[in-house]
Amino acid sequence: MKLTIGHLYPDLLNLYGDTGNIQCLKKRLQWRGIEAEVIPCQSGSRVDFDRLDLVLLGGGPDREQELACGQLKEIRRDFEAYVRENGTVLAVCGGYQLLGNYYRTGVKTLEGLGILNIYTEWEPKRLVSNIILKSPLCPEPVTGFENHGGRTNIGDHSPLGRVLYGYGNTEESGYEGVLYKNVVATYLHGPLLPKNPAICDYLLERALKKKYGENAHLQPLSDRLEHIANHSIVARYYTSLW
Amino acid sequence: MWIFVRTIATEKMGLYMIQSGYMGLLYCPYILERGNVIMGANVELSNAEGNRGENGGLALRTRLAIHAAKLAGWWLRKWKKGGGAALPGYVARLVEPEILTHLAQAVRRQGKPIFVVMGTNGKTTTNSILCCILETEGSRVVINRTGANMLNGVLSALALAFDRRGCLKGDYVCLEVDENASAGILPLLQPDCVILTNLFRDQLDRFGEVELILEKVQNAIAAAPRAKLVVDCDDALLCSLLPRCENPVVTYGINQPVFAASARSDVREGCFCPFCGKRLEYDFFHYGQLGIWKCTGCGFARPSPDYTASEIQLQKGVWSFCLGNMRIHSKARAPYNICNTLAAYGAIRALKIPAPHLKEALEGFDYGNKRENRFCIGRMRIQLHLAKNPVGFQQKISLLLGEPGPKDLLIQINDAWQDGRDVSWLWDVDFRHLAGDGSGLASITVCGSRRYDMALRLKYENIPCRIAESLEQAVRQALRCGSENLYIIVNYSGLHQANRLLQELAEEGRGKEKPQKNESKKRSLEKGELLS
Repeated sequence: MKLTIGHLYPDLLNLYGDTGNIQCLKKRLQWRGIEAEVIPCQSGSRVDFDRLDLVLLGGGPDREQELACGQLKEIRRDFEAYVRENGTVLAVCGGYQLLGNYYRTGVKTLEGLGILNIYTEWEPKRLVSNIILKSPLCPEPVTGFENHGGRTNIGDHSPLGRVLYGYGNTEESGYEGVLYKNVVATYLHGPLLPKNPAICDYLLERALKKKYGENAHLQPLSDRLEHIANHSIVARYYTSLW
Repeated sequence: MWIFVRTIATEKMGLYMIQSGYMGLLYCPYILERGNVIMGANVELSNAEGNRGENGGLALRTRLAIHAAKLAGWWLRKWKKGGGAALPGYVARLVEPEILTHLAQAVRRQGKPIFVVMGTNGKTTTNSILCCILETEGSRVVINRTGANMLNGVLSALALAFDRRGCLKGDYVCLEVDENASAGILPLLQPDCVILTNLFRDQLDRFGEVELILEKVQNAIAAAPRAKLVVDCDDALLCSLLPRCENPVVTYGINQPVFAASARSDVREGCFCPFCGKRLEYDFFHYGQLGIWKCTGCGFARPSPDYTASEIQLQKGVWSFCLGNMRIHSKARAPYNICNTLAAYGAIRALKIPAPHLKEALEGFDYGNKRENRFCIGRMRIQLHLAKNPVGFQQKISLLLGEPGPKDLLIQINDAWQDGRDVSWLWDVDFRHLAGDGSGLASITVCGSRRYDMALRLKYENIPCRIAESLEQAVRQALRCGSENLYIIVNYSGLHQANRLLQELAEEGRGKEKPQKNESKKRSLEKGELLS
């Protein structure tokens, strides 16, 4: 078996250790004897969605995000079709915002891909914190770090999880991220996947099932270190509250 | 409870002030601290005196502030050995909020140049080299202590360097200034020369993206239009400042590839032209985004450097190079120190300061400053390195891989506020170079409050490591059964503690152990570990 992972615009959107998510996807396939190919789709190059089983869209600084936004417009239709046909996507931070209808900053409005029916508005107070969620994707809490000025209103979409510690989508809503078809969109970096292997395996399994049918499944791995790392954050910020 | 302790502390401080005979002067910060009572009286006092008093051209109030700073410095030395380097500046500013402006004016009136060093990495080293060159010429130099590079730290260094008569006890002022604090410091300081070393991503949760820092630096230098800029032109981000500022500029850079592949990571800043948005093209990279670059879209390109190091060679582990016609056999073990040397050299040349003993100064300079301390414990040689951002960490990896012999590596990652609470930057460092037998690494141990994040980072490169509860435990383990070379890489909050621990262990190894003192120190170490 083999999965092909497309990293969209790593030269523009590479903030907050996003490459760690790619590394995690790749290694967890390889450790199970599944071939993994990573295609870094540099800006300006053509993105062939037919070849991709999993797409990662990361975050970047404002100027780079604007440049990426221009590039994404050109592949909007393909990207939309990819998601409609249950393609697997992980979008983090800026990538999450770009999947929505628009991102309004203090000075201008960036038009998004409109794949998710959400919108983001910028506020001067940045939400910077460790963050812990309870997500339907995994039994243990999801941990990460958030750092965003945008407040994302997710409308009717279901969230990735309920916020146990930290801010989340808007600081007030109590929810974080979006789960839609096989799209996981979130503000969590840190990066997200290494400390939350269940989410990584969820994405990989969705991609495998789409490609090789419902019988395809992943062998369990020893995730002792991952769980200790996850638990050390939960113990520090959440359990200690009680 | 806290208020009670605070009151006692303030009362006690006031008592010391009275005892020391400075009562009249030093009562000011004390009273101000308690509620800004005599502020009005103080203003009248300084106005009556006129803004230019007789003493060294300093107003009475400024002199009061200097005295207050000195008392705070004395108090620190007596009671708080080490740490708190910013307190004198804080106290001085309580007495006279405008003090930095007045002191900087006084320095200029006395005809003494002010250098400022800014940039993500290399500030301290560049400043030390500059200081060394000037001191070798017999000059006295005022510098700020490592890390004390925000407003109060800079102010402390300056205020403590004035004597009773209001004269600066030094011929030059060399200050390292944090980029993030620069917009609040440079306009007041009006330096003669500003050295910009480089800009990389650094503690994103505290300072934000590199573009924001660039903006702050731009505002800072725009407000100091007289200052001569000394800029590393290998950094396209820094060069993007040049067309937008009025300052006179000199550049330095390295034209030949000298950095090893292990010094680079694929994650870098500013891949695109800041003016037209086209991808920058590189002949080659040094490290980070530094290299020989040009934009094919708008013609924005690396200027030919005014000062460069040529014929760069690595001989027996140290770098030698030519500055003009002068060959320098430096003690630098890492190539980034050539950049730092060039920066200091460029600044000396920019201000046309005669330096006949330059060769002697540079060849004698010990690049292993406080941040790269070396220790010997028993048969083990230990090097302590600071790495606080991905580019810095990558350089340290490259440095240790270049050193001969088997070695053990100890990495301590904390997430205290000074380090940045977000440790995702560890994934921007390319650790692949540490894998495999070629690295010469016998073992890797991780510790610190984010040791599991670090261990996980290594796991995802298939690099096994040990996890230790504390730095002390890890060092002792290495002393028992490690190879002869131990490299310790820590981020900021652990540096002081690690330094102290290693000094202590070195003393212990020499048999100069003082059991009682050690016991209490050990306890405080453990406490520090818990807190961090």
